Amino acid sequence: VTWRRERWSADHSLPIGVTTRAQLGELVRAGDIVAAGATLAAALRVPGARRLGLSPSDFDRELRVRVGSDVVAGTVLARVGRRFARSVTAPIDGRLLHVTVDGDLYIAPIVDRWTVRATLDGVVSRSDDGLVEIEGEAWCFQGAAAYGPDAIGELTLGVDGPNADLAPTRIDVRLSGRIIVGGARMSAEVITRAHACGIAGLVAGGVPPAGLRVVYGDAVTASGSPSRDDRPTVLCLMGFGSASLPPEVYKPFAALAGARAAIHTASARLFVFSTADIGRPEPPAPDVAVSGEGPAAYAPVSRPEADADEVGGDQEEPAQSDEELSPSSNDPSPAER
Amino acid sequence: MTVSTGTHAPVEQIRTTLGRSLRVALVHGREEASRRAVAHLALASGTEVVTRVRATDPRSFVEAAQALRDAKPDVVVIQGGAKDQAALAELLEALRLGCGAQQPMPRIFGLVDTGVADALRLHADPFEFERFAAVSEMVEALRALRRAGNEDIVLRDALIEDGARALATTNGSTALAVDVTERSTSLVLARTDGRIEAAHLVPLGLGMGADHVVVRASLDNVRRWLPWPIDAPALLERMFNRTRPLVEDLATTEAAILLEMALAREAIAHALRDASDAGLDVAAMRSAPAILITGRVASLPKAGQSLLVLVDGLEPNAVSTVFREPDEGRAERIGMVVPVMPRRSAKIRIVRASGRSVARVDPGTFGLVEIGEDVDVAVNGAGIRGHGRSGDLGVLIDARGRPLSLPERDGERIPTVTRWHAALQAVGAEGSPT
Repeated sequence: VTWRRERWSADHSLPIGVTTRAQLGELVRAGDIVAAGATLAAALRVPGARRLGLSPSDFDRELRVRVGSDVVAGTVLARVGRRFARSVTAPIDGRLLHVTVDGDLYIAPIVDRWTVRATLDGVVSRSDDGLVEIEGEAWCFQGAAAYGPDAIGELTLGVDGPNADLAPTRIDVRLSGRIIVGGARMSAEVITRAHACGIAGLVAGGVPPAGLRVVYGDAVTASGSPSRDDRPTVLCLMGFGSASLPPEVYKPFAALAGARAAIHTASARLFVFSTADIGRPEPPAPDVAVSGEGPAAYAPVSRPEADADEVGGDQEEPAQSDEELSPSSNDPSPAER
Repeated sequence: MTVSTGTHAPVEQIRTTLGRSLRVALVHGREEASRRAVAHLALASGTEVVTRVRATDPRSFVEAAQALRDAKPDVVVIQGGAKDQAALAELLEALRLGCGAQQPMPRIFGLVDTGVADALRLHADPFEFERFAAVSEMVEALRALRRAGNEDIVLRDALIEDGARALATTNGSTALAVDVTERSTSLVLARTDGRIEAAHLVPLGLGMGADHVVVRASLDNVRRWLPWPIDAPALLERMFNRTRPLVEDLATTEAAILLEMALAREAIAHALRDASDAGLDVAAMRSAPAILITGRVASLPKAGQSLLVLVDGLEPNAVSTVFREPDEGRAERIGMVVPVMPRRSAKIRIVRASGRSVARVDPGTFGLVEIGEDVDVAVNGAGIRGHGRSGDLGVLIDARGRPLSLPERDGERIPTVTRWHAALQAVGAEGSPT
């Protein structure tokens, strides 16, 4: 349990209904939109190949609309024949979601839009309809468990020492969009207040499980509960209850305060994007190089040039706030679509 | 684990493990038998069920696809009849939409007729579809996946099944093996002809699976077994911190031991519930004449603690001889359980080679009868008849009734639970932990 600066990978699972996503090899920064799509309601099944009198294997050739496209009611989806034409049209406004093996079509109405943001500065190493994976270098602390959606913001110390508890009174709207580092313990009151004040995420040595149950429900477990919905983001660094942070864990927080950071809840990791020198990083564990779950499945990259940079202690600019978010170069905003 | 092959033969070291955690999605037909069949498969193979979808699932196509995507299954198990074919085909389309991009792709294991399999195989593209004719074949295939191609390792559940079989053969009667570890809980019923019924629940245990016990059983149901008052948040904190790697070692303090005992009782009770739900013969499990306790529960410091966990969690309803075998130790016979359910005071005749005695049993009685170590005993009276062998502890008369109920109020519950612990010398003399 320590800070390590090396090359990491972060998976970003995508919901169904992807419209655009970052492409393989694309450079992204934490907070960039790496995928956007539509939230879909109950889909309608529309006869396709049977209606046109085609075999399912031939039906794909006659599709006039790409699967995944938005359509309006009456749009011709597939058509055969010239003089005595037969066609399949969209019965509703929505998205052409899926073509079955039988050649039928699923069209689902769009009820909302979603976006997924990067939690790591780096390069897109995998991109498909289910997942965008990013690899990049950052300071990282592997926590015990994380709850809620991914969070990106400026790392801010909320306590005066590693043994202190974060008081609710220290949370206000001026801290909106930031990731607040609490001390040994963080209560449910702090979590709910922080969420109400627009705090991006909370990090603490321990969080009482009773408080987690209040916020996330009785089904919450010690393995965390990553989600996409509008809930607070909490990262437990050491365990549950109260866990004062050892100096080797707390001091780097002080050194990294003000830097951009991200909480990747699926892996319970805190990434901090800074070249600040927070002391000699721990050598990676022997299993790092073979673990697919941990850091990227290769040995950490040695970075003499980065080490040289660290002497200066430069920090990158703070993260963008919600209002200032700009999509990645290939992704038009939902409004533009 | 050490397997001895005789006094002069070399000792063979084998590696026992729970194997790779295998995430399984269960997709089944509308019939209750179909639901039970897939539940039985999941229990028998020791896999982790990540989602269940019925052919008549009320969720929309998109919701079903999203649920399957979020579940990230390694294997999708499908069972259903010809009537369910269309609905199952639609669920496979939802799987194609939800998991088409997953890497590695989920495999589909079908326990269906050949005709249904041929029809479903078309809808399964691009996933690999394998049909199995029998449950045992699919269980073996799922276990092979858990071994991840390493034939050198022995899965813990297979070892527990072997143990149950061996006990059934040795005793010449039905035998039950109860295994509770950090992450898993197993119940294996073995019959004398070699047939077994097994339920291996993952994750449900005393360490990494402790939080799942709390989620399933509720905190109050775990707390009720503790012989001292503790507030819910403090108990929850202890439960959640048990999942951390730091607490993998065996419990040493009395508080930790009693906490493990409380968790183990609920883990066993929930394993029984799942076994019953999957159509396994729970009545035979409760009436097995020979019971073997293994895993963490068998490693508790006192034999009385292991026995108390067993009778509280399993609630046996027939005369049983109980053994325990710690992971790093030899099997030992620890006692004989005589459950009786008298409506009023009754007498039980206890017969052994050295003579006979009569025990007076009142409703609610719970305690050991000192009978001498490891002797053959026959009992009859008060609606119970059977024979077994007393172990180190003797004969345990359990007249608390079935199902076992505990007082609601702490003021009544704590003295009751304390009395039960004291009856089996499961707590120290220094008093209750705080």
